[in-house]
Amino acid sequence: MVRILRLFFSTLLLFCGIVSPAFSGEPQDQLRQTTDKVLAILSDPAFKSPDKAKVRRELILRTVDERFDWEEMARRSLGRHWLQRSPEEKQEFIRLFKDLLERVYMDKVEGYSWNKIIYEGEQIDGNYATVRVKVFTSKDQTIQVEYRTRKRENQWLIYDFLVEGVGVVSNYRTQFNDIIVKSSYQELIKRLKTKATQDGMDEKKK
Amino acid sequence: MKRKNNSMTGLLLIPCYLLTLWLWVLPGLGFANSDPESSREGSYSPSIYHFVFLSAQNSMPAVQQEDEDREDKPDRIPDPLEPANRIFFHFNDKLYFWALKPLASGYKWVVPEDLRLGVRNFFTNLTTPIRLVNCLLQANFKGVGNETVRFLLNSTLGLAGFLDPARTELKIEKTDEDFGQTLGVWGIGPFFYIEWPILGSSSLRDTFGYAGDLLLDPKTYLLQSVPLSLAVRAYDQINETSLRIGEYEDFKRNTIDPYVAKREAYYQNRQYKIKKR
Repeated sequence: MVRILRLFFSTLLLFCGIVSPAFSGEPQDQLRQTTDKVLAILSDPAFKSPDKAKVRRELILRTVDERFDWEEMARRSLGRHWLQRSPEEKQEFIRLFKDLLERVYMDKVEGYSWNKIIYEGEQIDGNYATVRVKVFTSKDQTIQVEYRTRKRENQWLIYDFLVEGVGVVSNYRTQFNDIIVKSSYQELIKRLKTKATQDGMDEKKK
Repeated sequence: MKRKNNSMTGLLLIPCYLLTLWLWVLPGLGFANSDPESSREGSYSPSIYHFVFLSAQNSMPAVQQEDEDREDKPDRIPDPLEPANRIFFHFNDKLYFWALKPLASGYKWVVPEDLRLGVRNFFTNLTTPIRLVNCLLQANFKGVGNETVRFLLNSTLGLAGFLDPARTELKIEKTDEDFGQTLGVWGIGPFFYIEWPILGSSSLRDTFGYAGDLLLDPKTYLLQSVPLSLAVRAYDQINETSLRIGEYEDFKRNTIDPYVAKREAYYQNRQYKIKKR
């Protein structure tokens, strides 16, 4: 019975065109390279001991740095408020935003065990490309991640990523906009700085 | 038995009473405004917001504007109840840290993870009718087939749903559908955001969806007493939380305004699920 049903549904799946082997191009390859490097560092026994945690963290962040376009992300997260900022303010904001996103990324990488990653394909549109990835966690959950990348000097750099449809940059944009509109840009910077020092303290406690 | 059913219906009606109450209050809060630009700001002085937005837009150079089109259009869920929602958000936050998390941590300490994953599987299997019926309502026949196979297989070989051989052996994942999504597929928008005490993030549409799902949930029928039913639901919640300790903490650490972040994440995730089906 089960076998018949299985056969029936696998043919159904075939007809639905679900089984489309992902052809991989440049954006996906580059993303995979970075992810593989990070996974290699994570599973490297040399960094397993707690006193090596800081070294490992720095190594991972340096690897990730190559793949993320922090400036573009920061610009997009401020949206229409970006143009009203002076060059110095922009530089300060990029730095604060990068710090924040790096902490987010490290939480995701260190906090959950990624059992398996499946690359589900990419879509290229001129200098823009999306790469879809499915992450299997150790707790039997699957998480759909979509990376948005943009080509700069032969490198496809990530400027946004969506986790289960939730866009990280647009989520921050809504938060930032809310604070700027209700109080001021200075208030936003103040809150970002408080956040950074708070997290720094949490880090030490760990 | 009849009396008990009545009290169950009474329980279901509470959200409806509250909703009608809110619907009466809404026009006074400026929700009736259909312009998406101003309803986005809800009750917060739309005129000032409009002024700021329009002046910024006018000063944008043309090239920038073209580039801006690549970004997601600001698509947000109206939040006319924000003051009340924020109070409930605060309440839910405290509920998590003071009650749910300590309970779940103790439970996690006693019960091994495999067993807790089994309990999660059991509850997931039990709510198959919700997913199956909603797949049908959305004409998602692949989903109907998958849910049927999963239920038959997991209820028998999967030992009443504690194991998930359909996923582990046949690679058939569950199709996560609910009535709120069905209403969305039928073209009904979320209307506005609601943060319910205890239940958490929802929208007007999804609240009706939740009521509909309760009618399809076997727990509603199998457990004839309301306290028992609530206890089972609470247990389900504690079990689920025990598998997710740390996620909410991370989320709060990573956000500048957790309330706004949660609202937008809820909305985007719902839109994504409705589109995905």
